[in-house]
Amino acid sequence: MPEYKPQYYPGSTLPSKNRRKYLDPEYKLQKLRTISDDDLVRIMGHRVPGEAYKSTHPPLEETGEPACPIREIVTPTPGAKAGDRIRYIQFTDSVYYAPVTPYVRAWMYHTRYRGVDVGVLSGRVPLEARERDLEKVAKELVETEIFDSARCGIRGATVHGHALRLDENGLMFDAYRRYLFNKKTGEVDYVKDQIGVPLDKPISVGKPIPETELRKRTSEFRIDGNAFRDDKELISWMQRIHMLRTIAGFDPEKVKGI
Amino acid sequence: MSKEKRMFLEALRRKFKEAPEEKYTKFYIFGAWRQSKRKREFMEYSKKIAKQRNIPMYNPELHLGAPLGQRVLMAYRMSNTDIYCEADDLHFINNAAMQQMWHDIRRTVISGLDAAHTVLQKRLGKEVTPETVNGYLEILNHALPGGAVVQEHMAETNPELVKDCYVKVFTGDDELADEIDPRFLIDINKQFPADQAKQLKEVVGKRVYQVCRMPTATSMSCDGGTMARWAAMQISMSMIDAYKLMAGEAAVGEFAFAAKHAEVIEMGTLTPWRRARGPNEPGGIPLGYCADMCQASRVKPNDPVWVALEAISMGAVLYDQFWFGSYMSGGVGFTQYASCTYTDDILDDFCYYGADYVKKKHGGFGKKKPSWDLIKDVATEVSLYGLEQYEKYPACMEAHFGGSQRAACVAAGAGVAVSLATGNCTAGINGWYLSQLLHKEEMGRLGFYGYDQQDQCGSANSFSWRSDEGLPFNLRGVNYPNYALNVGHQSAHTGIVSAAHGGRGDAWTTNPLIKIAFADKNLVFDFTHPRLCFGKGALREFMPAGERTVIIPTH
Repeated sequence: MPEYKPQYYPGSTLPSKNRRKYLDPEYKLQKLRTISDDDLVRIMGHRVPGEAYKSTHPPLEETGEPACPIREIVTPTPGAKAGDRIRYIQFTDSVYYAPVTPYVRAWMYHTRYRGVDVGVLSGRVPLEARERDLEKVAKELVETEIFDSARCGIRGATVHGHALRLDENGLMFDAYRRYLFNKKTGEVDYVKDQIGVPLDKPISVGKPIPETELRKRTSEFRIDGNAFRDDKELISWMQRIHMLRTIAGFDPEKVKGI
Repeated sequence: MSKEKRMFLEALRRKFKEAPEEKYTKFYIFGAWRQSKRKREFMEYSKKIAKQRNIPMYNPELHLGAPLGQRVLMAYRMSNTDIYCEADDLHFINNAAMQQMWHDIRRTVISGLDAAHTVLQKRLGKEVTPETVNGYLEILNHALPGGAVVQEHMAETNPELVKDCYVKVFTGDDELADEIDPRFLIDINKQFPADQAKQLKEVVGKRVYQVCRMPTATSMSCDGGTMARWAAMQISMSMIDAYKLMAGEAAVGEFAFAAKHAEVIEMGTLTPWRRARGPNEPGGIPLGYCADMCQASRVKPNDPVWVALEAISMGAVLYDQFWFGSYMSGGVGFTQYASCTYTDDILDDFCYYGADYVKKKHGGFGKKKPSWDLIKDVATEVSLYGLEQYEKYPACMEAHFGGSQRAACVAAGAGVAVSLATGNCTAGINGWYLSQLLHKEEMGRLGFYGYDQQDQCGSANSFSWRSDEGLPFNLRGVNYPNYALNVGHQSAHTGIVSAAHGGRGDAWTTNPLIKIAFADKNLVFDFTHPRLCFGKGALREFMPAGERTVIIPTH
């Protein structure tokens, strides 16, 4: 039997290629900015930097695990081992060339990270995990090429904005104005945490990526960039999936040999 | 419609200051909720109420983080009309026309008269003639609103409160129809274009059906399950009076049985316990019934796209706003999930584009048998067109600010187009599902969790008719297992049913009796022009039934 090689995503155009790249855990996401651990903790707003992790149960080694084959197969994440509570980070990605779209973000979480619980909506992607695991994942999500300070938002509630036009500084709308464009530095500063509680001091998440660069990194199809219509391979693949599901739902026997 | 024209541009220009093509705008400068006339009005009422009752009420400043209105609170154009309103005006609680549409549906029960006439003639040896039928109908028009006909010393209802309550009949027999008092007749020949009337009369034949409209006041005070019982009681009493029967003789039970069970057609069937509602509630109304209740097909039979869009607006209000938005979820509801299908001419544009494409590529409406190639071709083209409009016109994207809104409209365009091409709504719904899969990959996003779930498994059940897995599409509704999950689908699904039958010139989609029952000028809501009627409701120009003015203090 030949070795299974995941293909991750079909398609011949740039967004499809970028989708394949982001979904492939072998591909190392390019780091574009540095956010200190403490500042990231402040933006997420779950604990004060330096504060101990709150736990929902004692460490696993103290509780004694029941005999269970699944527990033998699955190694607990550090957060699970320690008994951390589950907390979240949630992103909103603009339709205007944000590096990743909600589904790409969610698929990527599944291929790259363990112990995460992911949801997908049109305007937000919640990620929940044990708190210390979450902080590790969040670091990569904010510091690398899949985040843009202008077209992505870290938002716990009132996520409205992904489909709205951009403001005069090119920033995605945020009703809470959790972040502001700093004209002096040219960077975007978070002034509120993800749920909207004001921060003691602004936290920079870096300069917005220029649109020319965003267009190279994006996994979004757009008629003013890479039109979906041009990706014949991806379209035909989706039509085939639909056809197979349709026929199988009608009579599974008819799917053989298609 | 040519590719260069866009039906939605006029509305977008009115909604936003910037050109529809403009990618940048301004935020945070509009004074939050104060920019809205309606919300200012709400606040004024709220202050007065809080003072009167000493309990605080509506206060938009309590909104988490920042009061809403940080972006422009855009106006909405009621599609295919010149009516502009605010989003709040489309909440069904704020719109008397929407409420009346639902009341007019819920308070309707169709009941066959043939079983009763058979009992009268064969079992009791009574004569039944057009004269006796007219006499019976006059009595029932007294009794149905709450008048006593047999009992002494009865409490009755105030006619002013129940003036929207009456009974009419229809038949496919022209000779009999000629002898029915015109005040009691739904005249198929007068209400429908000739070819539709011919189809309807053929299927109804010599049978006679009575259409009972219970009072809106009853609909507001009781539930859908009340209606057939209310009608059956008054029908039985009126039979006793009209045919001089013994009150309580065994045959009277037959009238009640006929009116409650054997000959009754309710608008909606009972839903299972987990949905916790009886008959004549939105959860049990099949898509095809909703499409038939819409009477736009009598007005413009040669424009099945317009007809489908009118039906879609009814489905949006009935299923999305009333059922999912309130019966099943409660709270503030789902107004804008639904209103995206009947405002700003966006869906109109997608549907007419699809219709033009079908005419050009597939020879017109209902000209091709359903095939995989056709579904693939039409659904893909219309979906890509719709998605491209959102990207070409940022104002269009902003108008449909939620993914579920866009998904509903793009897939509705695709589904309606496939229905028009094939005259087959099951093919149409399959086109809808292909559209959803393409949309998800194109944008990399679709709706919310449940919205997407429904559409991810939709392909597989679209052609399945096995029990618990499928159903002919006309008969599906919000109680169909895969459709019971969430909002934003059934509006368009109503249009997919409508377009298939409208495209091939059918007089009805699913039940000819429903179609005829709502061809009635005495209904309070105008089922021939639902969108216009909802617009009047938004402008506060619609007068509903069931007002309690005569029994409450002057105010």
